Amino acid sequence: MIEVKSVSKSFNGQVVLDNVSFNIKDGEIFIILGESGAGKSVLLKHLVGLIAPDKGKLFINGIDVGSLSERKLLDLRKTIGYLFQEAALYDFMNVYENLAFPLKEHTRLSKKQISEKIKSILQLVDLEGVENKFPSELSGGMKKRVGLARAIILDSRVLFCDEPTSGLDPIRSRDISDLIRDISRKLNCTTVITSHDIENSMRIADRVMIIKDGKIIALGKPKELEASTNSFVKEFVL
Amino acid sequence: MLKFLTNYIFGVLANLGEVINFILEVLGNVLRGKIRLAEILKQIYEQGLQSVGIVILVSLASGIVLALQGVVVLSRFGAKEYISSLVALSLVRELSPVFTALVFSGKAGARITAELGSMSVNDQVLATRTLGVNPIEYLVVPRMIGCFLVLPILTVISEVAGIFGGYLIGVYEANISGVFYINQTFKAIRFVDFYSGFSKVFFFSIIISWVCCFQGFKTKGGSLGVGKYTTQAVALSYIWVLVANAILTKIILSIWG
Repeated sequence: MIEVKSVSKSFNGQVVLDNVSFNIKDGEIFIILGESGAGKSVLLKHLVGLIAPDKGKLFINGIDVGSLSERKLLDLRKTIGYLFQEAALYDFMNVYENLAFPLKEHTRLSKKQISEKIKSILQLVDLEGVENKFPSELSGGMKKRVGLARAIILDSRVLFCDEPTSGLDPIRSRDISDLIRDISRKLNCTTVITSHDIENSMRIADRVMIIKDGKIIALGKPKELEASTNSFVKEFVL
Repeated sequence: MLKFLTNYIFGVLANLGEVINFILEVLGNVLRGKIRLAEILKQIYEQGLQSVGIVILVSLASGIVLALQGVVVLSRFGAKEYISSLVALSLVRELSPVFTALVFSGKAGARITAELGSMSVNDQVLATRTLGVNPIEYLVVPRMIGCFLVLPILTVISEVAGIFGGYLIGVYEANISGVFYINQTFKAIRFVDFYSGFSKVFFFSIIISWVCCFQGFKTKGGSLGVGKYTTQAVALSYIWVLVANAILTKIILSIWG
């Protein structure tokens, strides 16, 4: 369960999040929609403690993220998968090394077990035979798949995806969205996605939240939002 | 005007706080034994290999120029036999530690900032945090320790290369016997001469790695930012190495003479 309570944040006097509150249920696919600069990525970074709120609190499975020391935050993050907008793969490591990195850091798996785990996770994201390639040799979609594989390799039960379809063509966007949905269902992850890809978001989300200028404009199931009378929501969703 | 001045002072103080906080975090990791040997060895290899060629070239050239000038000046006093002492003492006490530090800043230091800066702008530093790994421990500590170990080795290589440059001129230009030149070199350098120069190198290595890692971590603004912060890191390293050299030389001379 993820709880966000009255969170506000400003940068240089500009309000990015304004008294935002919502809950996300276990196993839910929750999508935060909004225009560029609406505060979606900032909100996601708050959830993993990369940014501290000016006001308000955030809880992940009952743990107050803001009260944790940097060392405790590192421990919390081991239980959370995070897919960055551009995947943020280490460009000095090949795909195998990128995926092996969290396993070497946080588990006592043998080399053989790590190799098997990487093979199975690459199968899960439909990307086999790329172990020796470097990120610069991968397409945008492939990078996101590897990023997704790295995010879930520690069997995280919470998955955060920051704009997973940005920069991809419509077909790849659909593939990645479906893949995230399938993996979330299979691993029973609580998944939070920020996006401005309305079509795919409405298709895979359990609930959607729309934010504008740091404020929640609408929150509900995709069908509820499609039936909304709010002019911004109608304009945004339809 | 007053507002501008207040903002400027607060900006400088905030930046100073960040710089100090950064090095304290590095020290905290080192003291807690968060040292990754494999990463340090990789850094020693990369930083050392990258800089050794240019360090040898610069030192050889410095030794040659020192000896050439020495021949002209010392010959006026009928003392050209002392070229070896002039070259050796100049290099060991002053030139090799400073030249090596400056060359190292321009090569390995720039590389450190560019690497970390590129990682910062591509979210790889943030990704390290989200993977539950402290980026200071994983990315900064090995680079700083690598620098701390490589720079003294490069300085010794520089001293040897510089003395060899002087030897070439002494023997082939000033017609001094090779054996005499080498004997005079060893006679001239006392242990105090060696360590008065060598001890500075450890301070220089901390300054260079601190400045370059910090600038890399602070980098923002895409590829343009990487260029800007890398240039800034090299310029700041040069300035602080030269300032530290002046202060350390005064302290060392007042202690050991």
